[in-house]
Amino acid sequence: MLERVAHLLPSELTAVLARMPAKAQEGLEEIRIRDNRPLEVWTLGVSTFVSSSGSLSDNPEGAYKPSFELCRKLLERMTNHSVYAMEEELRRGFITVEGGHRIGLAGRTVLEEGRVRGIRDIGGFNVRIARDVTGVAGQSLPQLIDRSNRTIASTLIIGAPRQGKTTYIRDLARAISYGRWQSPQALGWSGRKVGIVDERSEIAACVRGVPTFDVGPRTDVMDACPKAEGMMMMIRSMSPEVLIVDEIGRDEDVEAIREAVRAGVSVVATAHAGEWEEAAARPALKRLLQEGAFARGVVLRRTITGLSVKVVDLSAAAAAASIATGSAARAAGHSAASPREPTVTARAGDSHAP
Amino acid sequence: MLLKLIGASLILFAGTLIGFLQAARYADRPKQIRQLAGALQRLETEIVFGQTPLPDALQHTASNAGQPVGRLFQAAADELSAGEGRSFRECWDHAMRRAWPTTSMRTPELTVTLRLGSILGMSDKDDQLKHLRLAAVQLKAEEDAARDDQAKYEKMSRSLGLLLAALVVILMV
Repeated sequence: MLERVAHLLPSELTAVLARMPAKAQEGLEEIRIRDNRPLEVWTLGVSTFVSSSGSLSDNPEGAYKPSFELCRKLLERMTNHSVYAMEEELRRGFITVEGGHRIGLAGRTVLEEGRVRGIRDIGGFNVRIARDVTGVAGQSLPQLIDRSNRTIASTLIIGAPRQGKTTYIRDLARAISYGRWQSPQALGWSGRKVGIVDERSEIAACVRGVPTFDVGPRTDVMDACPKAEGMMMMIRSMSPEVLIVDEIGRDEDVEAIREAVRAGVSVVATAHAGEWEEAAARPALKRLLQEGAFARGVVLRRTITGLSVKVVDLSAAAAAASIATGSAARAAGHSAASPREPTVTARAGDSHAP
Repeated sequence: MLLKLIGASLILFAGTLIGFLQAARYADRPKQIRQLAGALQRLETEIVFGQTPLPDALQHTASNAGQPVGRLFQAAADELSAGEGRSFRECWDHAMRRAWPTTSMRTPELTVTLRLGSILGMSDKDDQLKHLRLAAVQLKAEEDAARDDQAKYEKMSRSLGLLLAALVVILMV
């Protein structure tokens, strides 16, 4: 993994990291560089400190400490010597570079009329190494298709942070765009036009508007765009058949998703939540689920063997709920949001997927 | 006798030439300082309005500035693209110190220019603007000083060259 980001890092730092054990280098997920403080890496799922000889330890004493000069060089490399051209990125707090890697920044913020305008005196960097895993969505895709419309059903994907939500929807976007439906019932279906609204530049990892991940041949990306606005722009301008958005949860997102569903567009969205009940309890999601905006739910969890994917059929749950409310069981009014136990479980993919 | 005459005229010629060259340096210095200020103005536009990445901005500035100032920026752009993990300040420092002797400018202007090396590209555009403006003011002061020097020493060094040559000839005869 190290070689993927080596070109971003000053040579002194690369040298230190290259002295780590090979296995740790391969499992590298994050490199956390803090000005004059111990160098930390996330590798093989755990946090550890790196000494200048490359040995790993839980103890920050004796760890390699990147100097101020080194941090400056790092910043220069990441911004192509042009911090002034990165104002938008500094406002958001991270820079996406070629290859989809993402560098989170921390430092002293500059305010303008009470709003953050950027970061000055950057003292902390978090290099998150992106890895694109093809095929994680393949096995569960047949359960997500909408047979009558020959496309994917509107789907809500939930999972706690770092469980592989973004990797999953990226792969989903790619599969739909290429028309790899993986199902005998979908034989001969072509791919669908996919629109990705990528507010945090994570799904497609665009650099200057061009996706650096393969997101499929029929895919358009609205990069760094607020989700709600982006969805409306996409519908107006790019006529997508499937809209893909990351991390919904605000009120304006609800309105935009409603609008998209009304326009006949399938929406595939992710939300932060550990359990299905947690997701269903969030006000914005609750409303959408009650209205039946989503036909499928997916719960993602990383396990030792790989990514565990649970698919929930919400349309059946909704039907059951309406019968329940029909028989005057008022307490079951919200049961659309808490359907029965998942119907199917599939396993696929890489356990280290970001 | 003839040999002496030839030698004397050679010495006279050389002395005059040295004097004229020295005078030309005095005359060129304010011109080049102004040229440098103009180039920095151009760089400022690239940075503040165009938000062009610094390597490209330097390249554009180099191709638009007259010589020898264009050479300074070209050297900086070349050093930066050769990179090898060096910081911008190192590249800028090295390029300026190397190309500076090919100009008629002196140390005070060099100091102003080198100071820019630790700032360019490392902050937001308001900050860049402030520092570039400051450099422009400092260069203006240097230009004025250079102009005074020119008024004082240009003619003098021209005649001084001839006169010193004449002195040498007289002493030799």
